[in-house]
Amino acid sequence: MGIMSMNVYEPHEWKHGTKVAGVPWKNPVGTASGTFQLAACRWFYDVSQMGAISTKGVSPVPWEGNPTPRTAESPAGMVNAVGLQNPGVDHYLVDELPKLKELGATVVTNVAGHSDDDYAEVVEKLADSPADMLEINVSCPNVSHGGMSVGSDPKTLHRLISRLRPITDKPMVVKLSPNVTDIVSIAKAAVDAGADALSLINTLVGMRIDIRTGEPIIANRTGGVSGPAIFPIALGFVWRVRQALPDIPIIGIGGIDSGEKALEYLYAGANAVEVGAAALYDPTAPLRIARELDDLLDSRPQLAAKLAQGQTWR
Amino acid sequence: MSPSSFIPTARAVEQATAAGYFPGRRSVEITDNQRLDEGVYRLTFRDPYIAAHAKAAQFVNLFSSDPLKLMPRPLGISEVNGEEVSLIFAVVGKGTDEFSHLRAGDTVDVLGPLGKPFRLQDDAHYVLVGGGLGAPPLIFTAQQLAQRPDCKVSAVFGYRSTRFADDLVGKYANRVESITNAEGNVVDLLNQIEDSINVDGLTTVILSCGPTPMMKAVASWAQRRGIGCQLSLEERMGCGYGTCVVCVVDTLEGRKKVCADGPVFTAEELGWA
Repeated sequence: MGIMSMNVYEPHEWKHGTKVAGVPWKNPVGTASGTFQLAACRWFYDVSQMGAISTKGVSPVPWEGNPTPRTAESPAGMVNAVGLQNPGVDHYLVDELPKLKELGATVVTNVAGHSDDDYAEVVEKLADSPADMLEINVSCPNVSHGGMSVGSDPKTLHRLISRLRPITDKPMVVKLSPNVTDIVSIAKAAVDAGADALSLINTLVGMRIDIRTGEPIIANRTGGVSGPAIFPIALGFVWRVRQALPDIPIIGIGGIDSGEKALEYLYAGANAVEVGAAALYDPTAPLRIARELDDLLDSRPQLAAKLAQGQTWR
Repeated sequence: MSPSSFIPTARAVEQATAAGYFPGRRSVEITDNQRLDEGVYRLTFRDPYIAAHAKAAQFVNLFSSDPLKLMPRPLGISEVNGEEVSLIFAVVGKGTDEFSHLRAGDTVDVLGPLGKPFRLQDDAHYVLVGGGLGAPPLIFTAQQLAQRPDCKVSAVFGYRSTRFADDLVGKYANRVESITNAEGNVVDLLNQIEDSINVDGLTTVILSCGPTPMMKAVASWAQRRGIGCQLSLEERMGCGYGTCVVCVVDTLEGRKKVCADGPVFTAEELGWA
């Protein structure tokens, strides 16, 4: 179905669901953390129709994020350095999470921290919440402590995930950074320490410079690159991790702007995908892509059957 | 998916609003594009939804047809006539250069109207203080205020050189004063007209849009005289609709999103008063 005929508002019975670490998603397409704010997105489409909603990273206390400017355009994408500005886990628990659950959404709560203690505090507070899954963000390139610095070293990551594992029974997804020499060793460390699933990739470190001044456009100097430009890179990371770890559930993220690109991730061995940057220039893109994929899976019954059972193509 | 293949305006709006949602990105038809000054253009397109719903200081996301340029260009609404919406913009890069070459009959993708508008009241004398490309949203503000017979409107505009917005705002404002960089700035102009700013029976309110240093000076000028002041801010945006948390400003209540919590803030909220 082409975009000209797609009406994302008409009622739709999802034909092809998936499972990620035992959690059923009504379709294999979620929103990527950092690109979804309920207060903004709910005006554009029924967010409960997504396979899952991965919410903006929450920290133990409110974070102010980085100074502005925080973004620069790049070819077929953008660079951002928001720095995980968020109102904190307590606000999230009384505001965004109850509203999402009331709407009927499957929620993946993204967890941020500057230290192991920070992550543990947030996971403790979320342990008895209605969140369906937790996604541990050890891959944000725009914070000075925590984030990518935790997820770049297998030993550091193993220590953190081992500490978080006993705190919660909820399925724990570890979101991986592409800014590493060997993503497979990082992925293995996360799984060895008790991760139930992996999501990849977070943004790639990049920057733009204003040639009139010779200075970086973004106040943080560097940021994370996302958008269709990173699609083949992200797909390659998913492929490599799937080849090394045949059984771990994987959520593929990076540059998805159509059902066809989502399908490539599923053929690479992902159980599900998340749409990020596309929502920034087309607010209903996540739902449109989910609908396009639902139709594409009609003619791929073997793949659809595997996904429905929580299995993957590879 | 090519970025220029979005659903045409009428059907996109009908589908969204029938389901109770705000209309998403859609293709609209250009009806006019005029050059107002060196590198400054007034682009007009047909979109009944924006025309019917737009309020003062709101903006529209415009999208390039180049698949390498995906991020929106947020442009302030400068006028609405019937089903047609006008935006005035300066060519500052390749995206806006592309918009300057659009002609009647071409299509462009839009999203909007976006942002929280000026809070308007009756029985007020509105002094609209604009600088450069901050003037266009104030033309639309004057147009909206023209529907309130109890209000009086004075436009106080500062330009780099050409007075490109005087005639446009003059269609709606009771009084137009302007100044160019060579002559001085808008605060000089405010000082010159200060004695005639108080109108019997009306509360004076300043609405301002322009470069941040100018707006800070205007807020300070207003504060010393006990005049209420609302400011429409500009910040480098990502999505323009409140989901990416890129375009923030420090307020007394913490960091707020310029696109969705603003662009309008009071001088008090910003701590500029």
